Amino acid sequence: MKKPKVKVRICLGTACFVQGGADLLLYNDFLEPEVLADCEIEGCSCLEQCKVGGGQAPFVEINGKIYDGVTQDVFCKLLKEAVKE
Amino acid sequence: MNNIFIDVDYAQIYKHGQKIGGDVFLLSRNPENNQIVATLSDGLGSGVKANVLASLTAHMAHKLSFSPISLEHSAEIIMDTLPVCKERKISYSTFTIADIHYNDDMENIAVNLIEYDNPASLRFSGAEDIKWDRTRTELKREGAFKKETIAQSSFKMDIGERLVMFSDGVTQSGLGKSLPLGWRLDGVRKFIKEEISANPDISSRELSRAIVQKACALDGFSSKDDITCVVVYIRRPRRTLIVTGPPFTKEADEILGEKIRNFNGKKIVSGGTTAQIVARLFGKKLKVDLSCWSPDVPPASKMEGIDLVTEGMLTLSKVVTALEKKENIADMPNDPAKKFVEILLDSDQIHIIVGTKINEAHQDPNIPFEIGIRRTIIARLRKALEENYIKETSVEYL
Repeated sequence: MKKPKVKVRICLGTACFVQGGADLLLYNDFLEPEVLADCEIEGCSCLEQCKVGGGQAPFVEINGKIYDGVTQDVFCKLLKEAVKE
Repeated sequence: MNNIFIDVDYAQIYKHGQKIGGDVFLLSRNPENNQIVATLSDGLGSGVKANVLASLTAHMAHKLSFSPISLEHSAEIIMDTLPVCKERKISYSTFTIADIHYNDDMENIAVNLIEYDNPASLRFSGAEDIKWDRTRTELKREGAFKKETIAQSSFKMDIGERLVMFSDGVTQSGLGKSLPLGWRLDGVRKFIKEEISANPDISSRELSRAIVQKACALDGFSSKDDITCVVVYIRRPRRTLIVTGPPFTKEADEILGEKIRNFNGKKIVSGGTTAQIVARLFGKKLKVDLSCWSPDVPPASKMEGIDLVTEGMLTLSKVVTALEKKENIADMPNDPAKKFVEILLDSDQIHIIVGTKINEAHQDPNIPFEIGIRRTIIARLRKALEENYIKETSVEYL
């Protein structure tokens, strides 16, 4: 059976976008193609994490789990792990 | 808000290789007197010299139009003031002034048109051209080799009518190249008829742009003169609603939904949380469109029933800056701010609903200061739309 794709949502609320979310949108440039092929990446107008408090923008949701302070390097690492699983 | 709108806009292409235009267009609206004055002046030659002369003429014409002096007398004063070129013995600049008056209810739109040496203006009712009489006054000035004629005419304009004014860069385009005698007035008239027939609601901005682009194409995309076209179009207003910010109380969400539902016109939702509220109220899906964004402006989203869904403060800031600086849309990056500006410029009346709830996420000191207070941005947006683009705006807070 084909493995389901990793579902990724990048928060693109104002606070996340200005604090690194915009860099994550360049994922086509910095993610390895084989990782990219196994992910389904979409934007989200707000993951509402800023309202919960705690954690640093930008927030990313990978397969339902929230990660904070995600830089391009962290994003690469997280997705590689998620694809492997 | 009125039910009739006077849409005035222009488009211009400078002579190839010039960084400044020898054609100058000025537009002012004087709401206290119910008056709009549009002045187009073409200075002799091109570049800086022509621009100085045309600016001088246009500003004189403009100021005099708002004074109690009659337009005919004003035109004579301007002509007497204009220097005559020593070599060519012709005036340094030409002008067309449209002095538009209207009643409080925007009915009875009366135009007083003065034309001096520019190509004759054209009028259209729908796609049909209108012929009208002009009174010609001759004036012999010292140093000029011929008598000069001012053409004056007064007429009323109704809904669906257009007045098109242009500089000789339009009528003479293609001269000696694609067309032996240039595009000429008949060619321009035919082109405008075709454009209006193909798109009966074409806005002044689009029509003027189509005309100058066609003229530039006839010149082989290397314009031989400054090409300027002004269009005055009387039509029903196009309305746009901007919703930004969540309402102060949750109970007001439903009121917001009702207002959006009942609005007749284009709808823009600006703000992530606001968009989520609207999506919930309408039971629609919100999908972020990752194909359209720039490093300054987050991507837009798509929602059925809403023309444009954008992020809030960053997008609005960018929109306001573009409107304040009168940026050319074609030069803007392909992001939601560009789409936002396009919709605004194609609208006449813009209603803004501002939600007054404070966004906790924007209180973070790490966030750039541009993400100011929503109300300040909205005040700037209204000022830019009203002063730079003569749009009608209104605002309400929820």
